[in-house]
Amino acid sequence: MNPCLLCMKPIKDITSWQSFFGLEKKKTLCDDCSKRFVRADIKEEGDVLDAVHSLYKYDDAMRDWLHQYKFLQDVALAKVFAKELRQSFSNKETIVPIPIHPERARLRTFSHVETLLEEAKRPYIQLLEKTNTGVMGEKSKQERLEMENLFDLVPGASIQPITYRLVDDIYTTGTTLRQAATVLKQAGAARVEAVTLIRSIQK
Amino acid sequence: MNKPFDPAVRDFLDGRIWLRQHTPFLMEKIDEHIKKGMIETIPGVTMKKGTFGQPDCKCARCENEDSHLFTSFHCLRCEGPCAYCRNCLQMGRVSVCTELIIWKGPQSEYPTEHALAWEGTLTKHQKQASEELYESTVKARPHLIHAVCGSGKTEILFEPIHKLLTAGKRVCIAAPRVDVILELEPRLRAAFPSTKLEALYGGADVKAFDAQLILATTHQLYRFRHAFEVIFVDEADAFPYTAEKTLQHAVRKAAKPEAPIHFVTATPSDKLLAEIKKMGAVSTIYRRYHGHPLPEPRTEPLWNYSKQLSKGKLPKALEKWITKRLDQNEPFLVFFHEIELMMKAEKAFRQLDDRIRAVYSAHPDRKQHVQDLRAGTIPGLLTTTILERGITIKNIQVAVVGAEQSIFDSGALVQIGGRVGRNVNHPSGDFVLFHNGISYAMDGARREINRLNSGGEPK
Repeated sequence: MNPCLLCMKPIKDITSWQSFFGLEKKKTLCDDCSKRFVRADIKEEGDVLDAVHSLYKYDDAMRDWLHQYKFLQDVALAKVFAKELRQSFSNKETIVPIPIHPERARLRTFSHVETLLEEAKRPYIQLLEKTNTGVMGEKSKQERLEMENLFDLVPGASIQPITYRLVDDIYTTGTTLRQAATVLKQAGAARVEAVTLIRSIQK
Repeated sequence: MNKPFDPAVRDFLDGRIWLRQHTPFLMEKIDEHIKKGMIETIPGVTMKKGTFGQPDCKCARCENEDSHLFTSFHCLRCEGPCAYCRNCLQMGRVSVCTELIIWKGPQSEYPTEHALAWEGTLTKHQKQASEELYESTVKARPHLIHAVCGSGKTEILFEPIHKLLTAGKRVCIAAPRVDVILELEPRLRAAFPSTKLEALYGGADVKAFDAQLILATTHQLYRFRHAFEVIFVDEADAFPYTAEKTLQHAVRKAAKPEAPIHFVTATPSDKLLAEIKKMGAVSTIYRRYHGHPLPEPRTEPLWNYSKQLSKGKLPKALEKWITKRLDQNEPFLVFFHEIELMMKAEKAFRQLDDRIRAVYSAHPDRKQHVQDLRAGTIPGLLTTTILERGITIKNIQVAVVGAEQSIFDSGALVQIGGRVGRNVNHPSGDFVLFHNGISYAMDGARREINRLNSGGEPK
């Protein structure tokens, strides 16, 4: 039996017919840990970025998860939200993850947004690339809003007049997502929406 | 650099196994020592093909081999299949392409002049145990100090530790619980004022990496390798040490290959007793240092306590007990079997006195609250089993709510009762088990306490 990914305690399982026939999905968290994550489903609309759907609010549980996933590089934690993330997409969308700079990806040993999508079993296409190695989390709100040209189109990418859905881990000021949406729209995208795992509301 | 090595690097690394990327030194300095053969690098995780073609991993730092505790992934650093260890993740991730470093140069030398400033005197029993413990150390065989709560176990260690330190040896006291380390630290600092001493636990502010006397949670020993000439494992029967094989491996790995590992506890498991009897020696003490018997548990029914408490109501008998403690100005501990129920009940307790607090392992202020209780600025604490052992508070009175719950095995109850009456001026106190039906463990605890009080006839 796999232990809970967060507290490492064994997961208590009630034997059911589903588990007997192996139909039940393997749980990744114990009941106590999964209780800490409460769906918020925040939906916002805008001009450049037509719509954003954030699954969770940034709270203590999410802060701990994000810290362990991104900074302690616990790749396994991508499994925790696989189902929730999968269900937030329909089948025919074109999903575009927010890229990280290859140098940063090498240091982190994995690309955190792409890994989330891979665990969610959602095919994606990488149309954007990062122009510099800066990190949003280290910048002030003012610095973020003043930044220009975070992204370029990947050489040879062709943008259709359809709806694209950007994916990122966390939505704070929205600079990242808006800049990515601008690049896609200037290249001919009809509509750009986004899904983020977390919405952080700054005070 | 003309010298063969930098002594600061040696003092930091000697006896440790550390992430190459995370030392307090410049990368170039580490590289230079590696080039000169003073530091050896080893892969963090080794991956082999198992019997059935599955990958078999082993972590070089925590020696974890449990396949459930490894995650395989496509690594962008080594550009291929990689795996990392989740068992010791919190200390910085170790993967196949992570390098760990160990010191290969000349060993650190430790001072041989140490003061022993403890001015108490040992009882006859303590003195005998202390001598037997040192004899076992010289003979490099494991030794168990099996002594009742409040018999002065820590003081028994002073003399042997002092002899080891003055022989220039590096010594470690390890305990599974951080609370035990926090309790020991000031006492050992006072006893060994001229010795470089450091306490290691998760979140500790470490200054003296090269300390000769180290107090550490057993978890922290993952980061040591062949460091100590002796390790004393205090409260060896406590969770999680008994449950996790990797922690037992960690203690063995942290000691030098021939070094003895000693155990100190009031409630050894049958397994530990059997193991020690095979290859080592045991010293047993049945009497507390002040000569008074262990407080016997008193039982009091508290029917349906969990229903009442989760509604935020205090059952009458419990309220009466708390009120009495408050009136008589006696500090108290109330043990709970789970955090959730305790937190629901906290409000009701605070209606009796708003200074009452609740603590559990992840509580941010737990250290502070325990200090406040000791200082007398708060009248009492609600706690989970984290405070079941190692803590000493003068004239403390103890209640267990839900003593029939399975988490309170007889060892745990004996330990909890061992908090009471430790001070020579307050050699007794109330030890009450509030229950919803008497369990075998409760009977077992009472039997064990009676057995010890009557001089310890064999079980």
